[in-house]
Amino acid sequence: MKNASACFALVCWLLFAGEASGDDTPRVVLGPKNPDLFDGAAALIAGDAEEGVRLTHAGLLMATGRREKVMALSNLCAGYLLLEQYETALGYCDQALELNDRHWRSYSNRALIYLRLGRYEESRRDIDRGLSIAPKSRELKTVRSQLLDAVDPVSPRITIDDRRRPPEP
Amino acid sequence: MNLRTVTRALLPVLAATGGVVAAQAEEPVVGADERVPLHTVVPKYPPDARRDRIEGEVEVCFNVDRKGRPIRIAVRRSTHRIFERPSIRAVRASRYKPLKRSEPVPAIKTCRTFSFSLQKDAPSG
Repeated sequence: MKNASACFALVCWLLFAGEASGDDTPRVVLGPKNPDLFDGAAALIAGDAEEGVRLTHAGLLMATGRREKVMALSNLCAGYLLLEQYETALGYCDQALELNDRHWRSYSNRALIYLRLGRYEESRRDIDRGLSIAPKSRELKTVRSQLLDAVDPVSPRITIDDRRRPPEP
Repeated sequence: MNLRTVTRALLPVLAATGGVVAAQAEEPVVGADERVPLHTVVPKYPPDARRDRIEGEVEVCFNVDRKGRPIRIAVRRSTHRIFERPSIRAVRASRYKPLKRSEPVPAIKTCRTFSFSLQKDAPSG
């Protein structure tokens, strides 16, 4: 599937979700806090979008706190994007961004959806927002490149010019 | 010896395929101390530069040894570092016609300028 790798990268970070804690108190964490969310992300990364979406829905039901919900919604957005169900994916991205309007991965996902739907101006706006939050994001730069290729295609050219120089004294 | 332009064998504009290009499509005028290119490798356009729409130029200077291999390869001028490594690799992989034992190896350097550009596609239809 075209650009699937970009989508997979968007959910990689969720693998570490279980290790995240909001305080500095030392504690032992055995496995992820939300196994369904964790397994759903792993399935999406592995390319099994249907299983990933199913598990992520289950993970969303068990999600505690805003951060986990945003993760689940963003991953559902990525999952439905992989399934090419763009309108459904768009709804989940919107929900994720309602909860956290600085979640650059959701902007990246939504920009890709808009791009697929031919809504270039909205795609560009989400890319700009995302890059203002995460200027070095490879995912966002990749989506920006795809958008530019759609609206302003270019071809790489390389020219070679040979000249001779006498030996330096 | 005055500085002179010897081989201005401008290769045709090539798409970034990374292929090997015969540099003798048009026979250049070659002087006594000049090396004849056997094949010139065109670098690939760096994917990150393509993604971020970066264009630039790199000038790489080098000597050619008796066997026709570029040596003492160095970047002399560059507008963006992203283009340097592919340019050096392309020079290193290029070859010139070897010299006979009786022929002296010229000390003159060749400076090759790679121009990386992105050209707008012509509208279809």
